[in-house]
Amino acid sequence: MGYEVERFVGVVDEELFCPICGLVLDSPLQIKDCEHCFCGSCIEEWLKHQRVCPVDRTPVPPSCEGSSLTSALGPAPRILRNLLSRLRIKCENEVFGCQTVTHLEGLQLHLNQCEYNPRRPVECDRGCGSVVPMDELTQHNCIKELREKITNQSLVIKTLSDQVSILQQELSDQRQEMTILKELVRSSASSSSNSLRHTLSLLPPLPPLSSASPSSVSSSQSNYPDEVEHAIQTSQWLSLLRPARIRHWGGIISTPDSILQSIIRQALSSSGCPQYLLVELMANAHERRWPPGLSVLETRQLNRSRYEQYVTKQVPGKQAVVIMASENEHMGDNMIVSPGMVIIFAHGVD
Amino acid sequence: MASLHITRVKREFREVVSSEEAQKSQIKIEIIDESDLTKLKGTVIGPPDTPFEGGTYILDIRIPDTYPFNPPKVKFVTKIWHPNISSVTGAICLDILKDQWAAAMTLRTVLLSIQALLQAAEPDDPQDAVVAKQYKGDPELYRKTAKHWAQTYAGAPKTTDDAEISAKIDTLLQMGITETKAREALSTHSWNLEAAVDSLFT
Ligand SMILES: [Zn+2]
Ligand SMILES: [Zn+2]
Ligand SMILES: [Zn+2]
Ligand SMILES: [Zn+2]
Repeated sequence: MGYEVERFVGVVDEELFCPICGLVLDSPLQIKDCEHCFCGSCIEEWLKHQRVCPVDRTPVPPSCEGSSLTSALGPAPRILRNLLSRLRIKCENEVFGCQTVTHLEGLQLHLNQCEYNPRRPVECDRGCGSVVPMDELTQHNCIKELREKITNQSLVIKTLSDQVSILQQELSDQRQEMTILKELVRSSASSSSNSLRHTLSLLPPLPPLSSASPSSVSSSQSNYPDEVEHAIQTSQWLSLLRPARIRHWGGIISTPDSILQSIIRQALSSSGCPQYLLVELMANAHERRWPPGLSVLETRQLNRSRYEQYVTKQVPGKQAVVIMASENEHMGDNMIVSPGMVIIFAHGVD
Repeated sequence: MASLHITRVKREFREVVSSEEAQKSQIKIEIIDESDLTKLKGTVIGPPDTPFEGGTYILDIRIPDTYPFNPPKVKFVTKIWHPNISSVTGAICLDILKDQWAAAMTLRTVLLSIQALLQAAEPDDPQDAVVAKQYKGDPELYRKTAKHWAQTYAGAPKTTDDAEISAKIDTLLQMGITETKAREALSTHSWNLEAAVDSLFT
């Protein structure tokens, strides 16, 4: 929308009026094809209604893909812009006492610093730090202003803490879900792995638990993440092992030598222990990798009374047992390591 | 600053008042309520050498909030017999009041266009099908009817003797039909009394 003609000093040429708003052109643009000029805002609004010139109805080509609505428009001719910029206009704050008359091209510059502008932003001189329009300064109340700020901030804090509790709830839900899944894997350890697969197939698709692990190579059922596939293989293998009966816990060999270890490794491998698990279990066959409750002679003696509570599986044909973390969660962190460990005996296992 | 549609109405009101056509009393515009410039009363005078000659036609003009990006809404208040104007509602079929509107047009151009429409009807783009049919089929009867309506409703000077027409209307009045209804029925049925009676009583 243009400028009211009353604000200009002297006569304004008829050519300088916008045919749409009927006021003196503001930031004019012309339709390239017919060269009619309008305020930029006026013609852009009109072209949203009809793509023809508002004066002679010349078609205005539709904007091409990617270009703006105004591509059929160009800057008004220089002569027209010159005529406009030389017009002398009164400051819009004349009613507040501003006597300034400026060329149209200098109007914006003047308005930015016009001391009569009732809306000029000024800083409160009583030190509350607020910046308020000048005409509101007399009614400005520092306490009220600061109070409003505090109220707004309290609102923000409230929103944020609400978000925190939602996230905490989500986290605890996910933890619970994890526990259920672990439980599922464990309880299926002794049952057929097919039933575990079946149970898993009833669950919604799982997000990958770890994106870093390589995809399963041995499995034909590769639509499960590796961890789940491993869990299936582990439970399959464990279900084939027989529970061990240990007659003499004092026969533990806590520092087996490499020959003994390789014999047990061989036996585990023959029993069908998955390779990835075999590596872990054998690494945990020495007291240096055992949990704190077993790591040295002293702690072993202290915990001796609890040994009977271990769920153990015999390494077929050997004086050795496998103690899986998934089957021994009841023992507590002090007594197990993940994913499990091997304990070799001198004698007493059958 | 006032909104665009009000700014424009104020300016266009002044434009009509100071126009040459207004000086010659061909068109007129009036504000009904100073506090609501979106409702205006327009007037056009029936142009010479037409059945509407000398008639005063009152128009109801409504300015939408989106003016001038959308046209004003204009309809005849004065009843008129014309192919492009509804004889019942006063609705006008005129392209510039519809898809041919352009933002640079003004209330003055609208009033002059309506006056031009009275001068040159466009029966192929009718608003009132009955009138348009008569206009094309029996131009003489159309002129007679349009003139009668102009004299009755628009205060056009009485230049013809309407004795026959008046007699037919009187007959219907005696049957308990209102005058407006009677005139509409007779006009619609080419002033055939029997056909008009049939249409009113069946
Ligand atoms: Zn143009
Ligand atoms: Zn404009
Ligand atoms: Zn100023
Ligand atoms: Zn303050």
